[in-house]
Amino acid sequence: MAAVTPTKEALLQLYSNSLRTARAYSSYNFREYFVRRTKSQFREIQDEKDPAKLSAFYNERVKELAVIKRGAIVNQLYGGWKLVLENEPPKDQALERSDS
Amino acid sequence: MLGFKLEVPRREDSVQGKTHPIYLDMQATTPVDPRVLDAMLPYLTDQYGNPHSRTHAYGWEAEQAIEDSRKHLADLIGADPKDIIFTSGATESNNMALKGVARFHKEKKRHIITTQTEHKCVLDSCRTLQEEGFDVTYLPVQQNGIIRLEDLEAAIRPDTSIVSIMTVNNETGVIQPVKEIGALLRKHRGIYFHTDAAQAVGKIPVDVNEANIDLMSISGHKIYGPKGIGACYVRRRPRVRLEPIINGGGQERGLRSGTLATHLCVGIGEAARIAKLEMARDREHVKALSDRLINKINAQVEHVIRNGDASGYSGCVNLSFAYVEGESLLMALKDIALSSGSACTSASLEPSYVLRALGAAEDMAHSSLRFGMGRFTTEAEVDYVVNKIVAVVQRLRDMSPLWEMVQEGIDISSIDWAQH
Repeated sequence: MAAVTPTKEALLQLYSNSLRTARAYSSYNFREYFVRRTKSQFREIQDEKDPAKLSAFYNERVKELAVIKRGAIVNQLYGGWKLVLENEPPKDQALERSDS
Repeated sequence: MLGFKLEVPRREDSVQGKTHPIYLDMQATTPVDPRVLDAMLPYLTDQYGNPHSRTHAYGWEAEQAIEDSRKHLADLIGADPKDIIFTSGATESNNMALKGVARFHKEKKRHIITTQTEHKCVLDSCRTLQEEGFDVTYLPVQQNGIIRLEDLEAAIRPDTSIVSIMTVNNETGVIQPVKEIGALLRKHRGIYFHTDAAQAVGKIPVDVNEANIDLMSISGHKIYGPKGIGACYVRRRPRVRLEPIINGGGQERGLRSGTLATHLCVGIGEAARIAKLEMARDREHVKALSDRLINKINAQVEHVIRNGDASGYSGCVNLSFAYVEGESLLMALKDIALSSGSACTSASLEPSYVLRALGAAEDMAHSSLRFGMGRFTTEAEVDYVVNKIVAVVQRLRDMSPLWEMVQEGIDISSIDWAQH
């Protein structure tokens, strides 16, 4: 397993799986963190050509995805209070009086 | 794939529709990282063995898990796994280190050195030792919160047994020159160097050998691990001898008896492992957030003073808003979980002794807020907090007669207030 270089498709698939899992957290802070971290980790590896590094990265992320997925399930079970931030309407949607 | 929402029976005490304030008090405690919780859960379900049971697989599994955690923790601070003693938290570690070393050497050595800005548990342990007849020197700090090495050197006596100086201050984020202190103390034989690194481990690089540290206190819940667990690094070569506070079955080299909580040990170990992997990313993130916070507040509010050292740990920003009272600021900011100082003293209205030691005036010490940012804080949260703070400070100042006088150009400190 370790010797096989992951294909671009496999990496992309892993990326989208990781991102989807990160978005499944119901707690705002964990969700934002894992989304941010997934994006920056895969961006760092984007131009990597070294097959050894790529496969090490791939295996590491696959292992971690399982952890983060279980974490998301537990978080959905016990997390989920919204932060004040999440209930604020985005600025561009806020109503404004036409005469002001 | 987890693109779904779980169908979960509702918990009775779960409140729906209510919102949580934004958490900016990472020096008080940090949330448990989901990866840490995932490592802990097996030991709260099927793997419940007593780690000290040597006769069956339940015990062996638990012991193995604890030894792995010990290794992760040791790796984070550059120590040997055998030097790590698990305790209930940094408070216990501080008590164990100070009282243990002082009492062990009490026949010959009766002097202890610490600083005025230490955490309450160090100062209180020192007071207890003073009652037992020890002499304690409380070193003053400079205006930036850092001690003077000359002061330390001058305070050393032939009968000094232990020097305790914290690495990162919990209220101001000031980083003490631990490496220089360690090098200085190494020149004096027989003085042990203890550092309370609860706020430093996992956030800034710490190496016990590089800094010649003999004893170090570590806390689990400051590094995204669980509460109720900490560790004390006790050097074995050269051996640091101390008298245990808790006696019993002789676990943890006899220094801290009692069955280890396997799940908590696993939690702090996993937290340490992740902290080591993520330190660079976390530091970069926290630095960006704190710069954002400081710049935005400074651009919109005047008369704001940063307490402590600007080159301290960036995740702890202590700001004083002049002419606004800190407690009323906190009351008005109910959507934000902040503190004016350490959690241990947040129940009292006294100004922080740490800020007073830095030489802050009484009114400035009263108007301080501590912003603690960490791994899970986001930019949007910082922006939200800045907007709220700016509005509230403006509103409180508009109500304040003092502020009106300042605007008119009256020097507040020159007023002779009438006594009633």
